Amino acid sequence: MSDQNMNATLSYAQTINAMQQRPVTESGIVGASPLAHVDFAQLATAQSGQSSTVELTELALRTHIVLRGSLNNVAFVEGVKAVLGIELPGALKMHSAGAVSIRWISPDEWLVVAPGARSNEIEQGLIDAVDGHCAVVNVSGGQTILRLSGSDAHKVLQKSVPLDVHSRSFPIGKVVTSVFAKTQAVISRNAENQWELVIRRSFSDYVWLWLQDCCAEFDLVIKQDE
Amino acid sequence: MNQPNRLDQGGRLERATAISFEFNGKKYPGFVGDTLASALLANGIDVIGRSFKYSRPRGIVAAGAEEPNAIMQLGATEATQVPNVRATQQELYNGLVAKSTNGWPNVDFDMMSTLGKVGAKVMPPGFYYKTFMYPKSLWSTYEKFIRKAAGLGRSPLESDPDRYDHYHQHADIVIVGAGPAGLSAALVAARSGARVIIADEQAEFGGSLLHSQEQIEGIDALEWLANTVAELASFPEVQMLPRSTVNGYHDHNFLTIHQRCSDHVADRAAKNSSRQRMHRVRAKWVILATGSHERPLVYANNDVPGNMLASAVSTYINRYAVIPGHQLVLMTTNDGAYNTAFDWHNAGRKVVAIVDTRAEGAAAAVVAKAALLGIKVMVGTAVVEAQGSKRVKSVSVAGLNSAGDKLVGEVSTLVCDTLASSGGWSPAIHLSCHTGARPVWSDEVIGFIPGDTLQQQLTAGSINGCFDLQNTLIQGTEAGQQAVKNAGFSLEGEVVAPTAAAVVINTGMALYHIPHPKVTSRAPKQFVDLQNDVTAAGIEMATLEGFESIEHVKRYTAMGFGTDQGKLGNINGMAIAAKSMHKTIPETGTTIFRPNYTPVTFGAIAGRHCGELFDPKRYTAMHQWHLERGALFEDVGNWKRPWYFPLKGESMQQTLERECLAVRASAGILDASTLGKIDIQGPDAREFLGRVYTNAWAKLAIGKCRYGLMCGEDGMVFDDGVTACMADNHFVMTTTTGGAARVLEWLEIYHQTEWPELQVYFNSVTDHWSTVTVTGPNARKIIEQVVDDIDVSNDAFKYMDWKAATVKGVPARIFRISFTGELSFEINVQANYGMRIWEAVMAAGEEYNLTPYGTESMHILRTEKGFIIAGQDTDGSVHPYDLGMGWAVSQKKPFSFIGKRGMNREDCVKEGRKQLVGLKTKDPMQVIPEGAQAVDDPNQPIPMTMLGHVTSSYYSACLGHSIAMAFIRDGHKRMGDTVYYPLADGQSIEAIICSPIFFDPKGEQQNV
Repeated sequence: MSDQNMNATLSYAQTINAMQQRPVTESGIVGASPLAHVDFAQLATAQSGQSSTVELTELALRTHIVLRGSLNNVAFVEGVKAVLGIELPGALKMHSAGAVSIRWISPDEWLVVAPGARSNEIEQGLIDAVDGHCAVVNVSGGQTILRLSGSDAHKVLQKSVPLDVHSRSFPIGKVVTSVFAKTQAVISRNAENQWELVIRRSFSDYVWLWLQDCCAEFDLVIKQDE
Repeated sequence: MNQPNRLDQGGRLERATAISFEFNGKKYPGFVGDTLASALLANGIDVIGRSFKYSRPRGIVAAGAEEPNAIMQLGATEATQVPNVRATQQELYNGLVAKSTNGWPNVDFDMMSTLGKVGAKVMPPGFYYKTFMYPKSLWSTYEKFIRKAAGLGRSPLESDPDRYDHYHQHADIVIVGAGPAGLSAALVAARSGARVIIADEQAEFGGSLLHSQEQIEGIDALEWLANTVAELASFPEVQMLPRSTVNGYHDHNFLTIHQRCSDHVADRAAKNSSRQRMHRVRAKWVILATGSHERPLVYANNDVPGNMLASAVSTYINRYAVIPGHQLVLMTTNDGAYNTAFDWHNAGRKVVAIVDTRAEGAAAAVVAKAALLGIKVMVGTAVVEAQGSKRVKSVSVAGLNSAGDKLVGEVSTLVCDTLASSGGWSPAIHLSCHTGARPVWSDEVIGFIPGDTLQQQLTAGSINGCFDLQNTLIQGTEAGQQAVKNAGFSLEGEVVAPTAAAVVINTGMALYHIPHPKVTSRAPKQFVDLQNDVTAAGIEMATLEGFESIEHVKRYTAMGFGTDQGKLGNINGMAIAAKSMHKTIPETGTTIFRPNYTPVTFGAIAGRHCGELFDPKRYTAMHQWHLERGALFEDVGNWKRPWYFPLKGESMQQTLERECLAVRASAGILDASTLGKIDIQGPDAREFLGRVYTNAWAKLAIGKCRYGLMCGEDGMVFDDGVTACMADNHFVMTTTTGGAARVLEWLEIYHQTEWPELQVYFNSVTDHWSTVTVTGPNARKIIEQVVDDIDVSNDAFKYMDWKAATVKGVPARIFRISFTGELSFEINVQANYGMRIWEAVMAAGEEYNLTPYGTESMHILRTEKGFIIAGQDTDGSVHPYDLGMGWAVSQKKPFSFIGKRGMNREDCVKEGRKQLVGLKTKDPMQVIPEGAQAVDDPNQPIPMTMLGHVTSSYYSACLGHSIAMAFIRDGHKRMGDTVYYPLADGQSIEAIICSPIFFDPKGEQQNV
């Protein structure tokens, strides 16, 4: 359809509406995570010093950006790399550098996770750096991340996810988007006994209820996001 | 307390721990290690229930899953009631409470026993078919009778307090059954490093080894068993699941394993633990080592308590140290069952005789052993009848010809209280059948063995009809090796099967139904299926009535129905049917088994998908505010949307009137966050919109919004919404709340399958944005206070525009679109700031009586404007023209659009279609029920000619009369006509057809 594409000469950034999604830092405005009503900080304080075979931490208010594009689109691939310093991972892989990570979602989709404070900088950086047919979509308000760790964390996943989470088929660094109980999650294994679930905002209370019930036998301990 | 049938020594019991249990209201002692059945037998309880149809006293017959009679209702409290538990499978724990499932009011003095014969008349064989042929009205009578009399357990009346689990598993090799075949396979599989699951329904691994007197590898079988279990436990990738029944073997090597985690410990699971767990297992390879069930013989009164399976008697003696009687007669068709007589004798009680149906009797060594113990053996003889009612008192024996179909000589009587019988062993092919494999008859095995399967499955041991220990161990080892190889693993060194002593035996006799001096129909009842009270006479009658297919015989008689699944009776029943039809068993064929192998609790099936977790509830960022404000909620899809916000003491109607009037008089606020939002980007985004919406998109300018209708290929409306042009290649589409996922899927399907050449990406941003809608004449005054940086005057910010703005420090996109017909601003912010902005707007609106309203008022306000809701005012059978929305269809677009051809079909453009109109009732206070059908003449005879139904109907406080939207045949041409809505109570509501736009038809209010 390129003959109909009147804007072929414009850069990607010129053809979309970019928007600063986060209030400027000086405003002092802090957002509320989808699980703000749970008050993890208070739970973590109450349980401080305790440990368990399953521990839960919310990685709240991160920057979440969806990238869409083709691996054949050099401007897209190189642009992402230039901004994040990370290569787009191949199928079912996750790449990280410091606090920034990219999760493979599908053959033309990735999820960038970064510290919340870098939201505007990273989103604008990506929009400016990529080109060709692609999309950079901020979804930071729409999801949150739960980290499960401990020697029984994989059992919690076995109660929730039909996928095989054994290290032979789910090694460290793997990521899948799959059904989680009756909702969905982007599930990654970050270390032998550490998993992260990227879940949708509107389903997060359901996931929290589910996890509490699943973890009853393990005496779940909440840890504060460091 | 004394347990009269408990042996002083032996058994796998913890004798140090004496426990007690309750059965039908009485307390009895037992031991840890008992099953409920072994404890009942130890206490000398003969009658444990009454039969389904004839109400005959019944006792325990078997020692495992095949038990047909001892079906118990368990539970110490109402909430912990569990029906359909086999006493033979329930481990005893202190304080266990069990009741007979059948038997009403008690098993010893059963009121039904006098009714028993009535029952038999009411329910002859073929009851199920015959009643269905008779007038339907009788069914309720029969049903009551069956329900009450059959009493196959009952559900608890209170909710289950326990927790149940699902557990997803993946394995290279799953081994079903931990008897000698399964264990020897598991040893090989484990050593390869493969991920192995071995499951067994019993409390302990071992299967037949648990009561075996044989040796393996030169040591006692029990010692070999202990060593093997210990070795398996040492492999990190081996998972051993006792008390876990593989109940279903589904497609793609998916197995459901029902594990009872705490049913053996207490009436309730420990706090925070799961009572039961359903393992949902994906296996690369499956080894079925499910063993076999001993087959009883069919003779007269074979259901009187004291009639048991030979192997069950051995199990009770050797494993539970229980001897279920005083004088034994053993009837057998094979050598193996002689062991039962030896076990009985060694336990110190009297063996009256071994009755061997074979003329040649058993092998020399076996006969010699009997002689050594002084046990009388009668060959070429059969028990034709048992006597007694609540316990066997004696049996009649007679000579039997070698074909097994005629008695020879006189009938004589043997006094005994226990009659054990063995007709050979039927392979437990149930799981094999679940895969769709047709069982194959084997004359050598005298039973059906697993047929070919498409699954990645192997079999080993007596499921194959391999009944001697050495060959079973070899088959298990070989199956293990094969599975290891098939699953892509390897083994070091030579694999050698464990050795056991070879046993020489004589061939068994293929015998099922012992002839009686009287013909079957006149002889005392000869039971085939004890659980369903199916007799040999019933099966013969079925064939006489012309039911030739074994599947029909099954349904006619109920043989193998229900929880029993024909474990004991099926082969005998087929043999009797075959003989009656002068056919062979293979010619007659077999019924096959379906999941589940044994009953599964609803708890295990539901797992934790119940209560609060039954269905996910979706919440917006402002939910806490709505809760605190006392909102009632409406389910829209999975979302919880505020329905209305009642003030203290307000009725619902009062609330709605207050909310609607506030919007029209000043301002209202709505949480519209749940609407679906799809970010659309790409050079072909605009072209794509033109193809999926019915209207034109080519000229929509940046900064503008447009309403669109989406149709299916059939031209029928399925969703609608406003889409905004953000930039040249960038749009944001909104959808209905319930339609969001379906619309995204719809776009992706068309993009991926029909127009992959279009460069466009769709991303759901529904959860990312919170939407705060402020609507009403004072909306601008409120918005002005919260917007930091833009001019919101009508000149600067027009109707159907959107603008980027900062709202109280938070970046936002504001849309001037309206679903109420009033001046409206929809503020979208990243959802993490949704609550903050909602509260800021509420604060700013205080002086303008800014009133939160819910979906119900939203419906009234939009109905006043004639705005449709896709899914309420459409039902998949209406196209845009039917809705009077032809203005939203562009027939001139250069490329077609989805639904264009559909809505131009002959039927879609003809006269007489139902069209959406408005209605005003003659009595302004009367509200027509939604769904009511219009007629022209309310006095016409029923069935009346119906013109169409009411889709939306409310009382409008703003207008002071009721309003409705409705479909009327040719309605657009009938403005001003009167129609009638006859109601169920005989009344009829009179209404006048009008435009559906009741309020501000020129649309001036939203444009100010």
